[in-house]
Amino acid sequence: MNAPIPPQNPPLLSVIDLKMHFPVRGGVLKKTKGTIYALDGISFTVREGETLGIVGESGCGKTTAGRTILRLYPPTSGSVIFEGKDLARIPKKILRETRRRMQMIFQDPFESLDARQTVYEILEEPFLIHGMGNPTERKEKIHQLLDTVGLQKSAASLFPHEFSGGQRQRIGIARAIALNPRLIVCDEPVSALDVSIQSQILNLLIELQRERGLSYLFISHNLAVVKYMSESIIVMYLGKIVEHAPAELIYQNPVHPYTQALISAIPVPDPTRKRRRALLSGDLPSPRNPPAGCRFHTRCPLVLDQCRREEPLLRCHEGDPDRRVACHRSTEGIKIW
Amino acid sequence: MKIDPATLKKIKRFQSIKRGYYSLIAISLFIVLSLFAELFINSRALLVRYDGRYYFPTYGEMIPGRVFGFDYDYETNYRELQKRFREAPSDDWALMPLVPYNPYENDLRQDDYPPFPPSFTEKHFLGTDTIGRDILSRLLYGFRTAILFSLALLFATYGVGISLGCLMGYLGGRFDLVFQRVIEIWTNVPVLYVIIIISSILVPNAMILLLIMAFFGWTSITWIMRTATYKEKTREYVLALKALGASDARIIFKHILPNTLSIIVTFAPFALSSGIVALTSLDYLGFGLPAPTPSWGELLQQGWSNMDAWWIASAVISAMILTLLTVTFVGEAVREAFDPKLFTTYE
Repeated sequence: MNAPIPPQNPPLLSVIDLKMHFPVRGGVLKKTKGTIYALDGISFTVREGETLGIVGESGCGKTTAGRTILRLYPPTSGSVIFEGKDLARIPKKILRETRRRMQMIFQDPFESLDARQTVYEILEEPFLIHGMGNPTERKEKIHQLLDTVGLQKSAASLFPHEFSGGQRQRIGIARAIALNPRLIVCDEPVSALDVSIQSQILNLLIELQRERGLSYLFISHNLAVVKYMSESIIVMYLGKIVEHAPAELIYQNPVHPYTQALISAIPVPDPTRKRRRALLSGDLPSPRNPPAGCRFHTRCPLVLDQCRREEPLLRCHEGDPDRRVACHRSTEGIKIW
Repeated sequence: MKIDPATLKKIKRFQSIKRGYYSLIAISLFIVLSLFAELFINSRALLVRYDGRYYFPTYGEMIPGRVFGFDYDYETNYRELQKRFREAPSDDWALMPLVPYNPYENDLRQDDYPPFPPSFTEKHFLGTDTIGRDILSRLLYGFRTAILFSLALLFATYGVGISLGCLMGYLGGRFDLVFQRVIEIWTNVPVLYVIIIISSILVPNAMILLLIMAFFGWTSITWIMRTATYKEKTREYVLALKALGASDARIIFKHILPNTLSIIVTFAPFALSSGIVALTSLDYLGFGLPAPTPSWGELLQQGWSNMDAWWIASAVISAMILTLLTVTFVGEAVREAFDPKLFTTYE
């Protein structure tokens, strides 16, 4: 199932059949009444210095994926190999030390900063947690960080609420890069920002990647943003990967009907251009009770009897090791628009 | 340390609610005053000059009467001393406090029975109780007992409640589940009855009474703290800290606790006033602090059974109303100033 790794950058992060199931509890004794299959077996690799994008609509498990990979949630099963060690299994002490090299940028730059701390205190926190440096060294580092993300030194004494959304996100980025991580999970980092600010933040992220050789796992519901950032893209649906392909290819030649629908829904800034759109009917089914067979079959225009019974595996598409699709009809080359 | 602007705003807002702000000043003043009660209301003189020497009897060892030329070895009666100095003019003098009676002494007279009505010449400004003790003196010392007791109770229940509630909210899972049920059972125990039963078996001193009341009083703040921690724990900044590798202790003490502080503070004045009420009712019923301790409940009981001595009941009732009203005003203002609805904005 795993594609052979081409002679490119070495892999930094390998996710193997990762599952995260949340129990649903209820009643006086909080008995488990059901399970939410938020993440149901995903596998992929992120190479050093590269960006892997994850797209999907809300509730598809992309945020859970990011958090489980950083072991903010304990995975139900599967492995997360980071720097050759399985994060799902290493002892807490080593995990704590490893956290320096993997960080996260959050969607809501206000919620993710402690409103009671000044920017200085927020940025000092990573160093204090890992007991690094003395006060003067830390001060210098913090000023460097502020400079790197394009904020004034004077920002240090202010509180988060005194900044605009974009500036707050810069603070969040500064905190994430404080300890020189190798991997950053960006969980919808620009979704809460004005469109005019989004590109500034995206460009800052790209610049940081170039300077520091960072790897990103870039999670967003916005395909255009993901395409701008990523070398390859994973499309998720109900806790599963439905398609994985290089960014350009997924745009030009999407194979999975769900990917096709997503791409046809991207707005094009040209009012004269007429397009046919593949509109999906219905809502995302509940991850508590996912449909049998192919999870997309309830909304798929190409549905066959086989799709209702049999779950399609994620397989290489047309022999290309970089392209993986999970669809019974992927070889037929049908476009739904 | 820089006070964050949200807190600053809350404090400013509290100051702008005049009734609460002045009530806070008043109640703090009362408390400070009651802590130094010996300087205002006491049978010992503040300062005595005798034979060219100065004495400060207020704090410190008892000075026997022989030192000042009386023929007894028990504590000097400073009122007598002052009278003697006045009658026989000399360089000696004694400076008495405003009210020259301590809360324990019986000021008895010939040809009459207490309670004595208020009298300025006798310096019993609010009269005496049924065994001749000065009411103003007992009121102030009783206030000190009540407020210190309530504060101690507050610290005890808050100590238990905050730590346990915080752990319940933070750890969740089975620990939370077990204590949720424990609290539900606990809150259904009728506290006053239990205290009455226990007090009728053993005579409680202040410490035992405090322990009993704290034993049953920790639940409400635990509940509140659990909810507040739960809410705070799910916020993204906690996740960000975990991603940085912060320890649980660091997250709790440096981030969650300061962020829940405003909720805890809001409930404190109400807890304080309920502590005063609980102690007073126990004392009223005779199950509270042991007998000679100055207490409002005991005064209330005296007033109730001696309605013709109107000064007893009216003094203690006015004092109760004034104190509880003041504390409640403070609580109301704190609640209004800290109301999260005023500061939460969606962006």
